[in-house]
Amino acid sequence: MATTLDRREFLILSTTAGIGLTLTFALPGAVRRAAGAARWDPSPALTIGNDGVVTVHITKAEMGQGVGTALAQIVAEELEVPWKDVRIDYPIADPKYGLMLTGGSWSVNWTFDALSRAGAAARLALIDAAAKEWNVAPTDVVAEGGTVRHSGSGRSLSYGQIVDKLTITKTFTEDELKQITLKKPADYTIVGKETPRLDIPDKTNGRAKFGIDTFLPGMVYAKVAYPPTREGAKVKSVDDSAAKKVKGYVQTVVAGDLVAVVANTYENAVKARDALKVAWDPGPYASNDTEKIFQDFAKKLTDDSGSKVWVEQGDVRAGFGQAAKTHEATYMTDYVAHMQMEPMNCVVSVDNDGVYHIYTGNQFQTYAVGAMGAVLKVDASKVRLHQAYLGGGFGRRLEPDIILETAIIASQVKRPVKFIRSREEDLKRDFPRSATVQNVKAGLDDSGRIVAWESTIVATHPGPRWGPDFVDKQGLDQFALNGADHVYDVPNLTVRAIRGDDTGIPVGYVRAVAPNYTFFAVETFMDELARIAGKDPIEFRLAHLKGAPRLARVLQLAADKAGWGSALPPNTARGVACVSAQEKKTPTWTASVVQARVDPQTGNVRIEKVVTAVDCGIVVNPDGVRAQLEGSVLFGVSNVVKERVTIKNGAIEQSNFHDYQVLRMNEAPTVEVHVVPSTEYPTGVGEPGTTTIAPALSNAIFAATGARVRSVPLLPDRVLKAIQTKA
Amino acid sequence: MATLVINGISRNVDVAPDTPLLWVIRERLQLTGTKFGCGVAQCGACTVHMDGAAVRSCQTTVAQAAGKKITTIEGLHPQGQHPLQKAWIAEQVPQCGYCQSGQIMQAAALLAKNPKPTDEQIVSAMSGNICRCATYPRIKRAIKRAAGV
Repeated sequence: MATTLDRREFLILSTTAGIGLTLTFALPGAVRRAAGAARWDPSPALTIGNDGVVTVHITKAEMGQGVGTALAQIVAEELEVPWKDVRIDYPIADPKYGLMLTGGSWSVNWTFDALSRAGAAARLALIDAAAKEWNVAPTDVVAEGGTVRHSGSGRSLSYGQIVDKLTITKTFTEDELKQITLKKPADYTIVGKETPRLDIPDKTNGRAKFGIDTFLPGMVYAKVAYPPTREGAKVKSVDDSAAKKVKGYVQTVVAGDLVAVVANTYENAVKARDALKVAWDPGPYASNDTEKIFQDFAKKLTDDSGSKVWVEQGDVRAGFGQAAKTHEATYMTDYVAHMQMEPMNCVVSVDNDGVYHIYTGNQFQTYAVGAMGAVLKVDASKVRLHQAYLGGGFGRRLEPDIILETAIIASQVKRPVKFIRSREEDLKRDFPRSATVQNVKAGLDDSGRIVAWESTIVATHPGPRWGPDFVDKQGLDQFALNGADHVYDVPNLTVRAIRGDDTGIPVGYVRAVAPNYTFFAVETFMDELARIAGKDPIEFRLAHLKGAPRLARVLQLAADKAGWGSALPPNTARGVACVSAQEKKTPTWTASVVQARVDPQTGNVRIEKVVTAVDCGIVVNPDGVRAQLEGSVLFGVSNVVKERVTIKNGAIEQSNFHDYQVLRMNEAPTVEVHVVPSTEYPTGVGEPGTTTIAPALSNAIFAATGARVRSVPLLPDRVLKAIQTKA
Repeated sequence: MATLVINGISRNVDVAPDTPLLWVIRERLQLTGTKFGCGVAQCGACTVHMDGAAVRSCQTTVAQAAGKKITTIEGLHPQGQHPLQKAWIAEQVPQCGYCQSGQIMQAAALLAKNPKPTDEQIVSAMSGNICRCATYPRIKRAIKRAAGV
């Protein structure tokens, strides 16, 4: 049995799971009828108990973004329930919740309207039940603070009393749901108010349960013997004679190219696995390395091989014909790993009815359940995915790999199996952000306006690996390209994409995804163009943002708050970047000014301060937004100053935090966040801040030294080389 | 068989003496507040106190821990009301939360030894603990709040 999905299996998976990126989060419209009972479930989003406690069912993964609190605030606002009576839980995956996917900074953006209406519909149904009981018009009954009250008689019933005693009959069609008049932002009492996160207390005392904290009676521990290459290796032979002698040994599992051993404890499973003798055919990628991959990508760029037009507006050829000056630059970015703090792990128990109980923290339950069908031929009705807190997600827990491996092992062992990858295994088996090579060319007219823009992006696209629903008709994954379709006023623009396939490195989605590298190219290039046009980088951008006034506003705000233009010590300078991340159709307008000090002798760069301004529409949880911006900005700092996965012999070369270093407290700059008040529809904040840092730092380095660094991460040797070779 | 005193309770565990304390605490005794992050003392998620000092339980063997007073996040304060735990809530520090037990235990060892640390001392004491969510500014603020500096 294969543990990776082939294309045919993907087709099955897509069909059976009905996965499609066109799907959006939706809640069934009808509020169900309920008679006096202990609880009432007006929709899959919430339950109201006869004690008046409202439980909002959070179908988004909690991986640090505080999503549970924010989504519950949205429901509570329209339900008119006191916040103290609100609880949250994380239910077992079920089709009734729609597409269960957490990523893309989508959670609030996709659910704000639906959850508002779910809360409002429940409120109206409670009012209706009370009005019928009192034989009065519903319009004379108001709901406030978890109680409905008749204005004429002063009679009142709490929500708990209504659930306990009355029959609730009012239902809503989808159309009726859409017609509910929602509150105006000025009337909000919970949305937009400082609301401490509900998950935080348990995260200070050890009580928060992550996937790794799962224990089941009779549970045994699995360890997998992974192949020497990331992809394409085949098992030739397995000798488990020495493993069998290890104390606590339970069983060896060989399923296709998955080789595992099971023992009574974690440490015995490690010893038994280490005693396995597995002979591997390392497969076709055994000699692949980073240098070859970049050479291949660069050649594809030069040859324009397999290039597809992703975005085209105007006539770029005619545009270049009008240009007084042209400029062209090539950018590269390295592979980046997730390095979420909780190594991938899973517990699977198969019960007597053949039901697979899966315990883990997962970002894409709909896909995981579908993958169980595609790979293990287990029907969705026989899968119970129990959601835990995620010890970091960042896109890593979108992948079902750990679930599938554990389920395959558990299917043979007939006991609950716990599988924890070591940090080394976690990194070696990561799905990193793709390495990329990008070329950008633009023409400026006499007045310094951009008249033509042409870019080509060579990257491995994650989508084809996920399935046919994850690519467009040309075979392109928009999540490998977003951002290259920037919002600057450019009359003639073409964006081309070339898929860098066959690298032997399966790439995935890492926090902020393509806009990490697309905006690095766009925003560094804008800085280069500003210099050529003889304009200040802020002024040059503002001149091209007439069509994106909200972005212009945050750019100006960031510049003002950062003291743009004021004097700084030698070798210290500011750089700026502004973005429409994550997606052009639902952007969170974000701008950052990075202040950095460069040591021209060593190329060492120290980011001293980041000032970020953002317009994300309605803010649901103000401190949650600030926290996400601080974290996303510092994630960007970590990425740009030090993170680099390299490939050698077809495998990820790094193994742990000593050779794949991430930001520590002593390297963290001051982060200042400014959020623009807004009544626009809300967009996400988990990622856009990240995408501003690489270009803003590259631009700061240029401002400090006159050297342009076009390779991320902006490592000291790269900075030094740029300084030494600058014209 | 080894005898460990964890959070004031003496516990007998039947493990090899070279077993990392981390796996005994977590997987045997199910005190899961202590986290596995790297296994090589690079991240600090597994930080506990041994006779009051912060140690990485992934690199501490059962043999080394025997006879010592071990404290985990569950034992830091009986009601979870250590000044640092209160400060962590007040400053809304955790994001994913996975590293935070280790962060709090590291900070608690610092404050026990140095109740009024400077910013530099905080950074120096805390830079062995990784937070991938990068809650560092809030960790620093929470320590200062708890220390009253």
